[in-house]
This record gives sequence, structure tokens and C-alpha cells, in this order.
Amino acid sequence: MTADRFESLDPIIHSQIRLAVLSILISVKRADFNYLKRETGTTDGNLSTHLTKLEEVGYILVKKSFQGRKPLTTCSLTEKGRAAFTRYLKALESYISVEKK
Amino acid sequence: MPEKEDDMDEMQAREEIQLIKNMLEKTRKATAESGTLFVVWGVLIALALVGNYVLVYFKKYDWEWLNWVAVTIVGWVYSVIYGIRRERKDPTRTYIQMAARHLYIACGTGFLLVGIALPGLGVYSYEAIVVLIAAVSGILFFVMGGIYEWPFLKWAGLLWWAGAVGMSFLKRIENRMLIFTVLFIACYLVPSFILRSRYKKAKA
Repeated sequence: MTADRFESLDPIIHSQIRLAVLSILISVKRADFNYLKRETGTTDGNLSTHLTKLEEVGYILVKKSFQGRKPLTTCSLTEKGRAAFTRYLKALESYISVEKK
Repeated sequence: MPEKEDDMDEMQAREEIQLIKNMLEKTRKATAESGTLFVVWGVLIALALVGNYVLVYFKKYDWEWLNWVAVTIVGWVYSVIYGIRRERKDPTRTYIQMAARHLYIACGTGFLLVGIALPGLGVYSYEAIVVLIAAVSGILFFVMGGIYEWPFLKWAGLLWWAGAVGMSFLKRIENRMLIFTVLFIACYLVPSFILRSRYKKAKA
């Protein structure tokens, strides 16, 4: 079995936290920062770093606003992010299906 | 969560797929339907039915409409305030929630039209109200059953439709009201309280 039989994995998504964030955002219209932090079990700084990476490549949109006096950061998946996530899933499946053959 | 290495084998691929499934499941649980509005509307309608019975008992027929209009206004005001507060407070907004919210608005408007506006405008007689309310309730529960993948709600929807057809064969309003009350308890109150209980379990 050679490596070229596997579909290449998007290095941006190939990180557990970024994959977890995209997995949440794929089924929601938007999610706030605290929710993502809680569900991914990470810290503010770490999550911010990963969100910035995803935002830089255009996979997510990060919107900063205020809810009353509290700052509110919400994230949503872009069409580019959705397509990348779908490709990533197909690539993952290729690893499983090729191993089975 | 640690960063993963660049190499990938089947085991790692399975772990990543499992991670995706876990996140989807967590989101599904976090955004489950609370059933609050259903319970509130259920209590309001139950009160209105009792009020209606009392008014008929005392032969105060002229006040029946006011009973239903009052309940509808209270219900709508509560629903709008509740919807706005949830919109602000919820950490996420899922596509399922958006679909459900539009369904509630559509069916709520439908109830308003078939229950108050259209008979008030003289489009049909008041005896037809319960039949049409049952038909709209069928749509509400059947679609909800589809959205939340809960067959019990679909069956409740089918029973509402069957009830609508059954009531249309009954001429006396008292008999129609009796069937409506049975449908209301079995196909509205029971699913609403189960929905609420499932939500509490999911959140626990």
C-alpha cells in the first residue's frame, strides 16, 4: 500500500481542536466562543489561535459584537469551510476504505 | 486536546471520525427542543377549554370568543418574548432550530387565522374551527416528528388529521369538542410533557 492511494488531508483541519470546531459549526448557523471553548475543552488563548487560523484561510467567519455590556464572539462556517470539511471527511473515509481492501 | 501528528493510519482516521460524531452529538443534545412553549400553550389552551365549559354552563355564549382571544394574546406575547430571549441567550443556533422556529411561526399564524380571523370574518361557521385547528395541529406535529426524528410526534400528527376528518362527520359542536379534548390530551399534552422530560434528561 502506498501513501498516494490515500487522499491528502487538509493540514488546516488536521488538528483535533480545529476539527472539533468545524464539526460543531457544520451543524449550526453560529456558535459563540464560550460554547466552542466548553465543548472542545480548551483554553481561551488556545481556541483563539485555532480560530484565527481557520479565519485566515476563510473557513470560518468570526464576528465580534456586544451583548449588553459583555463582548460576544460568534463563529460561523463559510461555504469554503463547508467544502473543505466535506473533502476532509472523504479523505478520512479513504483511509478506512483503503485499509479494508 | 493535543495536536495530532501529520501521519495518518486507519486507527487515527477512525478516531477523527469518532471525534466528529461526538461533537455532532454534543451539539444535538445542547440544542434539543425544550418543549417550554408547548407546555405553556398546553396550559393556556387547557385553561381556555375549562373557561369555555364554564361559560357554556352559565350560558354566557357572548363571552366565548373573548376567552380564546385572551388566551391567544397571552400565548403570542409570551412566545415572542421567549423567542427573543432564547435568540439572545442560546450559545448556538442550529439549522434544526431555525426550521422548527419557522414551523412554529407558520403554524401559530395558521391557528390565528383558522381559529379567530377567518371565522370572525364570516368565512365559515364557528363549528368548523376545531376541525381546522386539528388539521393545522397535524401539520405541526408531523413536521416536528420529521425535524426531530421522533416517530411518536409523527403519529400524533396523523392522529390529529384522522381526528379532523372524524370530527367533520359529527354535526353537534359538543361532540366535536369532546373529540378535540381527547385529541388535545393524547396528541398535544402528552407529547409536550414527554418532550420536556426528554429535554431535562438530555441536559442532566
